[in-house]
Amino acid sequence: MSGVVITGWSTTSPAGVGRAALADRLATAATGDAPPVGATATVPAGSAWPVEPPPAAPVDVTELSDEPLPTPTGHALVDFDVRAHLGRKGTSFYDRATALAVVTCGDALRDAAVEVDDTNRSRLGVVLGTSLGSFRSTSDYTRETLVQDKPYLVNPVLFPNTVMNCAAGQAAIRYGLRGINATVATGPLAFLDALRYGTNAISRGYVDAMLVGAVEEFSPHRAWTTWLTGRPGRATPTGEAAAVFLLTRADQPGWAGPRREAEVLALATGYGPGGGAAADQALAGCVTRAVRRAGVDPAEVTCVLTGETDPDDTDEFGPACAALGHVPARMRVSRLFGRCDAAAGGLALATFLASEPPEPAPKLALLTGRSPDGGTAAAIVRGWPGAGASDR
Amino acid sequence: MNRVVVTGLGPVSSIGIGVSAFTDGLREGRSGISPISSFDASGFPRRNAGEVPGFRPGTLLRRIEAARWGRSGQFAAAAARLALADSGLDPATVAADRAGVVVGTTSGESVVVEAVTAQQVEAGFGAMDPELLGQVPAGRLAHAVSTELELAGESLTLATACSASNYAIGYAYDTLVTGEADVMFAGGADSVCRWAHAGFYRLGALTADACSPFDRDRSGILTGEGGAILMLETLDHARARGARIYAEVLGYGLNCDANHPVAPDRASIAACMRAAHRNASIKPEDVDYVCAHGTGTPANDSVEAQAIFDVFGDRVPPVSSIKSMIGHTMGAASGFGAIAGTLAIAHGFLPPTINWANPDPALAGLDPVPNTAREANVRVVQNNGFAFGGNNAIVLIGAVE
Amino acid sequence: MTQTDPRMAELRDIVAEVLELEPEELTETGDFAEDYQADSLRAIEILARIDKKFKIEIPQSELPQLSNLKAVYDAVVRHSAGQA
Repeated sequence: MSGVVITGWSTTSPAGVGRAALADRLATAATGDAPPVGATATVPAGSAWPVEPPPAAPVDVTELSDEPLPTPTGHALVDFDVRAHLGRKGTSFYDRATALAVVTCGDALRDAAVEVDDTNRSRLGVVLGTSLGSFRSTSDYTRETLVQDKPYLVNPVLFPNTVMNCAAGQAAIRYGLRGINATVATGPLAFLDALRYGTNAISRGYVDAMLVGAVEEFSPHRAWTTWLTGRPGRATPTGEAAAVFLLTRADQPGWAGPRREAEVLALATGYGPGGGAAADQALAGCVTRAVRRAGVDPAEVTCVLTGETDPDDTDEFGPACAALGHVPARMRVSRLFGRCDAAAGGLALATFLASEPPEPAPKLALLTGRSPDGGTAAAIVRGWPGAGASDR
Repeated sequence: MNRVVVTGLGPVSSIGIGVSAFTDGLREGRSGISPISSFDASGFPRRNAGEVPGFRPGTLLRRIEAARWGRSGQFAAAAARLALADSGLDPATVAADRAGVVVGTTSGESVVVEAVTAQQVEAGFGAMDPELLGQVPAGRLAHAVSTELELAGESLTLATACSASNYAIGYAYDTLVTGEADVMFAGGADSVCRWAHAGFYRLGALTADACSPFDRDRSGILTGEGGAILMLETLDHARARGARIYAEVLGYGLNCDANHPVAPDRASIAACMRAAHRNASIKPEDVDYVCAHGTGTPANDSVEAQAIFDVFGDRVPPVSSIKSMIGHTMGAASGFGAIAGTLAIAHGFLPPTINWANPDPALAGLDPVPNTAREANVRVVQNNGFAFGGNNAIVLIGAVE
Repeated sequence: MTQTDPRMAELRDIVAEVLELEPEELTETGDFAEDYQADSLRAIEILARIDKKFKIEIPQSELPQLSNLKAVYDAVVRHSAGQA
């Protein structure tokens, strides 16, 4: 057991900013129509939980791009405005990924009730997951060198945006976080890798608390990538999201938040060279190791939160069930929020914690991730979903 | 808690490919700077970089097909292959899931991103090649190594910019200390690209043809590239197989300036050094050599030197910058620094700062090991890495006691 | 006259945007660094935008003198003198 707990969290997604917005969206999705404000969906006791919602319809995203898009719809928070959250100063040159991440980090700090000050800022860090930072920022910077009269007439203020650690660095600047600051770039595995990186930083004693999350922005670059590399005509729509959790030691200092939302019991990562059967085996191995390290009975795993995107994809669920020895409920966050790559795992964990269970009791979730090349990861989390949040 | 040692080195650099050629390059104070050939630099006022024109991935890689991976992934995989060969380890003796890799990078597969961007400019977004788009994710740097060496353990890419190799070495060290792995490959890789060249030029941080860190008249960096991977294993594992042990990883320290995306911060860097010393259980007076971040910009070298003065007081060890020879290899930079520091311990010499002509009066008391390598008994090396985003990372490497 | 030269208003817009200010917040003599927390990156970007807008190349070596809007305007006038 890692001895690391989650004391607060936030997401920014097409549902909006913050946990309440996410909970509302889940309630709407579960019933299939819009419930009265403040209502929550429930399922009968004894049935499989959580119930995977039907796929959500993407929205018109054309105003997010001056370039033609392969399809006019996607899963984006179209009216997201960083200035409405953080003001103008210091934010004008954020790219979208940075803006989503910084806003969500701030909301996670608020949700965990953490006050950053000179007594704790060097013990509080950030680790964020990504696929390649902002594909748009890097590609547009290169584009400028190709289309300007002089190739060096690029904007120096935007240069840091081309570096993949931009979002984590700007979050540290915004909130004064001087502890470990890291960025993991493993695409669909990135949230779970960030969770592992943050857990290690805490359990090794380098910091007392970490903001752990992942971000992916909507851009024409990602939309076209999804379109051109997905199944012809059937690609899951491109999504965007940031999800951030405040992690600390179970016996942490008081400043790191009064509540306990979840325990990160164990993580395992692996690689199946070449993908395919080798990666099936690697993922099953990760699940087995994670269950063993967590010291839990695999039969008690209530649900598997996967990063799968295609309707008939069981690349994660299959090996996970084989390793667990039974078939728990499956939750594919892509059905609600599209293809969110690095942010998928974080959205999945948030969705688990925001879902209303039939009875108030701790639940065990297995999170899985898998990359096309053969990277695999698994995490076992014990959560107090829904009303959740017991005092520690 | 396990002790962690360095038993294999894999440099793919502009001054030499493989540990023997790289060692000779450091000892001779060789310059790896040449006119840029990897992109059309004709429109730029600065046209030199530390490319690795002699890199022939096909001759180094055994398993992965170079054409299916980006240049940075090829650098990482080739460097790891060299490190494995240098270590003498028979991979069949290690359980596959007990061996992993952590690769640091600044710009990931930048050459691939530039290729698909050129396609966009030429014929629109829909004209981007799906095969190339599949090569874009930065996670493929570590995956290239895992695939090349058939490793089933951790395969992690850390994108903490120009200190990323030190992050990678630190994280790999932790997985070995805690017993999660027996063998880890750690370091970094990056490729010379247009956008970084343009950006550094625009910042006024790019010099013309010779990078001269700590010199009074230093005027900036030269961009560079390559792959730098170290093979790390637990001391017990290394001894059990009778390995040649270069040095021990003593510990590391990380922190964040949380101040400015680009400008270095003296107090924060000093705090990072102190954290690294504390974590490695050493004192400043134990350090025999500082392998500097030493980019050659007026700001970095001044701030770095002042932080060193703050921490080391009146006993400042020699401080040199191998960036004078290979340029700023971005995410690979502190990996090359760690390899150079390991060689300094193993072979008893200090790599020089070349292109050095005039002492900087503002840095009085600093010994940059000017121009010529120096014989020295080196027991403990401090390897500095700093980065955009205020991502400071320092690794301590020592002789095995 | 700076008040009547339309370039002054255009420069004010350029500088305000780079320094993340409303144009009316920016005075002609307010110091970029002291009063508006600008750093060297922002100063370089102001020169780049002037280059693109007016086709006037102000050398980066003059950056230390370009500490307020009036100084930037004067530099634009000076460097455009021979071009018209």
